[in-house]
Amino acid sequence: MKRRDFLLTSLGAGLVLGAPTAFADFIGSPYFKDKEASGDLPPVAERLPKNPAVAKMPELGQQGGEIRMLMASDKDTRILVAYSYARLVCYDREYKLVPDICESFTVEEGRIFTFKLRDGHKWSDGEPFTSEAFRYFWEDVANNEELMPTGVPTSLRVEGKPAKVEFPDPLTVRYSWDKPNAEFLPQLAGASPLFIFRPGHYLKKFHKKYADAAKLEETVKESGQPSWAALHNRRDNQYRNDNPKLPTLDPWVLQNKPPQDRYVFARNPYYYRVDEKGQQLPYADQVVFTKTDSKLIPAKAADDSDLQARNVRFDNYTFLKEKEDKQQKIWVRLWDDGRGNKLSLCPNLTCNDMVWRGVMRDVRFRRALSMAIDREEINQYIYFGLGLPSNNTVLPFSPLYKPEYSTTWATTDIDQANQLLDEMGLSKRGDDNIRLLPDGKPMIIIVDTAGESTEETDVLQLVRDSWKKVGVDMFTKPSELEVFRNRIFAGDSIMAVWTGMDNGFPNADMSPWEFTPTSQQQLQWAKWGQFHETSGESGEKIDLPEAQQLFDLMNQWRAALDTESRTKIWEQILAIWTDQVYTIGTVANVPQPVVVNRHMHNVPEKAIWSWEPGAQFGVYKPDTFWLDEQRPLSKVAEQ
Amino acid sequence: MNEQSSSHGVPAPLPHYVSTAPFDPYSVERTTAEQEKIYLASQWKLMALKFRRHRIAVLSAIVLGIMYASTLFVEFLAPYQQDTRNVQHIYAAPQPVHFFHKGEFIGPFVYALDYKLDMQNLKRIFTENPEKPLKIRFFCRGDKYNWWGVVPGDLHLICPPEGGPMFLLGSDRLGRDMLSRILYGMRISLTIGLIGVAVSIVLGVILGGLAGYYGGWVDDIVQRVIEVIRSIPHLPLWLALAAILPVTWSPLLVYFGITIILGLIDWTGLARAVRSRLLSLREEDFCVAAQLMGASPRRIIFRHLMPSFMSHLIASATLAIPNMILGETALSFLGLGIRPPITSWGVLLNEAQNINVVVLYPWLMLPMVPVIIVVLAFNFMGDGLRDAADPYR
Amino acid sequence: MFRYFVQRLLVMIPTLIVISIAIFVIIQAPPGDWIETYIAQLVAQGEAVDPAKIDFLRKTYGLDQPFYMQYLKWAGGLIQGDLGYSFGHSMPVNEVVGDRLSLTVVVSLASILFVWIVSFPIAVYSAVRQYSVGDYLFTFLGYVGLATPSFLLALILLYFAKEYFDLSIGGLMDPQYMGAEWSWAKFQSILSHLWIPVLVIGLPGTAGMIRRLRANLLDELNKQYVTTGRAKGLPPGRLLVKYPLRISLNPFIADIGSLLPELISGSVIVSVVMALPLTGPMLLEALRSQDMYLAGSFLMFMAFLTVVGVFISDIMLALLDPRIRLGAGASK
Repeated sequence: MKRRDFLLTSLGAGLVLGAPTAFADFIGSPYFKDKEASGDLPPVAERLPKNPAVAKMPELGQQGGEIRMLMASDKDTRILVAYSYARLVCYDREYKLVPDICESFTVEEGRIFTFKLRDGHKWSDGEPFTSEAFRYFWEDVANNEELMPTGVPTSLRVEGKPAKVEFPDPLTVRYSWDKPNAEFLPQLAGASPLFIFRPGHYLKKFHKKYADAAKLEETVKESGQPSWAALHNRRDNQYRNDNPKLPTLDPWVLQNKPPQDRYVFARNPYYYRVDEKGQQLPYADQVVFTKTDSKLIPAKAADDSDLQARNVRFDNYTFLKEKEDKQQKIWVRLWDDGRGNKLSLCPNLTCNDMVWRGVMRDVRFRRALSMAIDREEINQYIYFGLGLPSNNTVLPFSPLYKPEYSTTWATTDIDQANQLLDEMGLSKRGDDNIRLLPDGKPMIIIVDTAGESTEETDVLQLVRDSWKKVGVDMFTKPSELEVFRNRIFAGDSIMAVWTGMDNGFPNADMSPWEFTPTSQQQLQWAKWGQFHETSGESGEKIDLPEAQQLFDLMNQWRAALDTESRTKIWEQILAIWTDQVYTIGTVANVPQPVVVNRHMHNVPEKAIWSWEPGAQFGVYKPDTFWLDEQRPLSKVAEQ
Repeated sequence: MNEQSSSHGVPAPLPHYVSTAPFDPYSVERTTAEQEKIYLASQWKLMALKFRRHRIAVLSAIVLGIMYASTLFVEFLAPYQQDTRNVQHIYAAPQPVHFFHKGEFIGPFVYALDYKLDMQNLKRIFTENPEKPLKIRFFCRGDKYNWWGVVPGDLHLICPPEGGPMFLLGSDRLGRDMLSRILYGMRISLTIGLIGVAVSIVLGVILGGLAGYYGGWVDDIVQRVIEVIRSIPHLPLWLALAAILPVTWSPLLVYFGITIILGLIDWTGLARAVRSRLLSLREEDFCVAAQLMGASPRRIIFRHLMPSFMSHLIASATLAIPNMILGETALSFLGLGIRPPITSWGVLLNEAQNINVVVLYPWLMLPMVPVIIVVLAFNFMGDGLRDAADPYR
Repeated sequence: MFRYFVQRLLVMIPTLIVISIAIFVIIQAPPGDWIETYIAQLVAQGEAVDPAKIDFLRKTYGLDQPFYMQYLKWAGGLIQGDLGYSFGHSMPVNEVVGDRLSLTVVVSLASILFVWIVSFPIAVYSAVRQYSVGDYLFTFLGYVGLATPSFLLALILLYFAKEYFDLSIGGLMDPQYMGAEWSWAKFQSILSHLWIPVLVIGLPGTAGMIRRLRANLLDELNKQYVTTGRAKGLPPGRLLVKYPLRISLNPFIADIGSLLPELISGSVIVSVVMALPLTGPMLLEALRSQDMYLAGSFLMFMAFLTVVGVFISDIMLALLDPRIRLGAGASK
């Protein structure tokens, strides 16, 4: 136990000590030349913290230029928060947790977390960033009854008990619990992270405790919000990133208020990272999001985007490659997909239909269906053989991977599948050679989907043909997203289709929650997950022994104190998962095309595209991406 | 002729011609055979005669007739079955039909396709192999099918040759033959129009008839209802109604549900036309006469008034069908319409609306052509019908 | 006359009420509410959702109240001119709709102009020279526009505009002008982007208009007074314009009521495909996610336009045609 903490502490310290803090000079961007000259902004040395974070990168670059991207909706301003990946602690490219905003951190007994902030670190409006920001969050937001009527968020609780938070000095913050909280740091490092600090100096005017009552009431009325709490929450949305006036620590700051067709983010003068030459990051002066219909994004990506992977799918690759050859303006790279599977079928073990429930809870049924699918065929015809036919499980580039995880019960064997189904007693057949359920009805599975992609339809078409060979018919029912989910939660859906594990390449220190019945969002056992999330108020208790084992293992993982014991627990979880085939995967690691402007540097040639962990581009730190040929910057009208 | 003037000074008669033919008092009223045909012809005959003058309308009627007749035998006409997959030939371009191989005439044939996978661009490249002509078969045994889902068979008018595929209009992303899919889609798309229009005709005639005949408050209420329906934009109605369709319905039931929805929303135009027609016709003498003679309103409407606007009804209905077809296409585009495995032109076009298709596989947009043809044909035929509708003009 | 005016005005009110109820029911009909859509979207993107927050949100925005209460709240707001709050965009509805509406009106008006300018001469020519080659040709072209599914046409035109005219697709102007101030260059950019949507939206309308105008004109030209005029020696041009043309303009006026809402909703699919910042995509998204106030208020606004439009056209028709004024009630 002590060894791990020591490792972590030294890692944090190493980054501090290893990097030379003695810079000859910090170099600011010419973007602020005028403001510095007129005195509106202090010189760059005063804008950076005394010990700025030093970014390591393949190629040192030059400041200037703008990165254009295409986004599909106004809400996508939050994507820049993910891409910027400015976190208290973040993952590095080996997916180890390292300090980022904080200068260093220590973990004691897995339950006491101390963060040391950087001296002189400032918000984007120049106000100091100290433990006051954490205090404001903890005392005035998390523990405020009107802002959080349900109490402190569950992510800050262990076994229901909230954290104990202390601020020994302006640069230190300590969170502690009675029991270990292995998920705390990963949550801080998430793509959509847990924010435990707020710009209190800005938000105070929306807070009942600090603002003048009459003025506050007026502001509330003007904004159209129902109450001051709603207004505060609205203004305070760091992740949503739609308030230009909200101070931030991110490399780029939103300049124009939604709704817009084009969002311009300008560099943050007080950003805390520099490169090894002392140039203040980010390299790019501006990031521009142009709003376009998601269908048109592949068509426009080659011309109007410098960095595009969102809304670009594998089947756009051919088209983009042609553009790459013809126009010579972009590169189209193929990154690995970090999800456990491209498409996995989730039999609903908690569905209301008792006959189906009985059939699907028999592991032989799930194994049979899994073996009936011809994954090679799907891989060849839809993904040009570039994917990996596999179960919905961890990927080869995860340290926990074993080849049998991908292939057990996933090889195509129609005879064995038929045999298993016959063994189950489902050998009676009806019209069209389709087997009959125990109650005499034909075995026709209605698969719910929420997708609109033709790719999904095609894969399901191939799956259907495969299943018919073992006497099981299927047809799909597409619905709107929330109808889809409600059907599953209510138990009306028999089987649903979704992408596989969000985190397909975990290491032992990452949470195995996706493999255990802990969340309603898990389509194969939504009611068990709901039971856990609502602490027993709704849903159903787990009533399959293996699933209960998984649940217990999850708790054990939470209580584990070192990587070795966590690895052992993971292995047990994966063993049960593979054996029980709770979800049926098809093909994994279908490459993700990434469009990159030829003049942009430091974007990896081959990398993993994953939301969690990694924040898609985040873990590769876009503040280090730079353009050697720069376009004039977009202007934004005065707001 | 006495040319001398009389002694009383009466002026001399002017020179004039007098016919020597015997006098026939009915000469004006007797008609020649040709004239008789026209005067004695019934209303429908006159309509037919006038319709024939509009040549494009006649052509359209013929085309539509052929298409509708074909919907009875699509299984026979299509070279492949609707879902036959040939995954070796995904996204194959349309194969041209040749007649002369190396200068020699050997009947219609296609060349075999050689397949190469370009892994750089992830593109499948099919080239014709000029050494391997494959003759097209006619009246042959091919893919098994169930005629109208009931009678099994496997006779096709035209089949792919042994040993090679025949994609006359190309293949789609699962290697399915576009020609066959368009033919199968024709059955669904053309019949949707009919059922939907039938629903809206029934509603339109009943409600419009009541409004037009009785007038007064009945008219007011129906007008308000029409106004309400017309004021609500169709899109949300479609979305809501499509969302209400139960999940468990099979695609076929969904299809019927969609047609009824389309009909329910579309009847207002027809109702208004019927109503205005009736309003004016009601004042005509023959109607007043019928009323005075004690005919019931139902008899008056159906026996006397209807024939007068029947022609307009037919013309309007004919013009409403293409709207139904386009409506179904739009619904499928939004993902609210017909669902696979049932195929319609709308579904095919929905699968074609992305940039990959426009640039790389444009033959997937071919279903647009029959849509245009059918809509045009209906419009022209409807025009011809409407021009012919009032033959007494 | 005055009585008719007042009568029609009074009838408008219950009509609007019924429409508002119908709209509300339709929006709420699909199961679920906006909160669920919101959560579903978050989860779909792999983002954490705090179940406790959900209930809180629901309560704050009054989504846990019974059906009729929500309706009354919305209707009450409408009467006061408060269009409500859009959950999806987290801002008041009028801020969301704002710019989009004016752009939509611009595009729609341009389309209407296109329809009239193109269809009018064609229809007149067709009517006067019935069954001629020109007649067939023009009507054929008009119909092709009617028959082509607009979304596919839009996609194809977009692609060609991109490849051959180097036009940046999606949106109504080049990116560098978005959010910038008005200038001649910006205006030009908008014009160059405008022609595709106007073409695609306007073509179907053109065919219909041509057909209707032509039919009406033909009707008039065969009437006796025209023959009389011709016999009396009126020059054919003057004969055409002075009487038949005016009367055949009837459908224009009768249709004014539904014209604007029809064009606004007709442009929905096209603006979705072409990613135009119009009200269409906004409405579609609002309906899909059950963003109640945004969808409801906007629909109500369009319905209001229609009803007012019908009212105006009724009045104008009444002014023109005494028969309507005096009421066409049953003689029995």
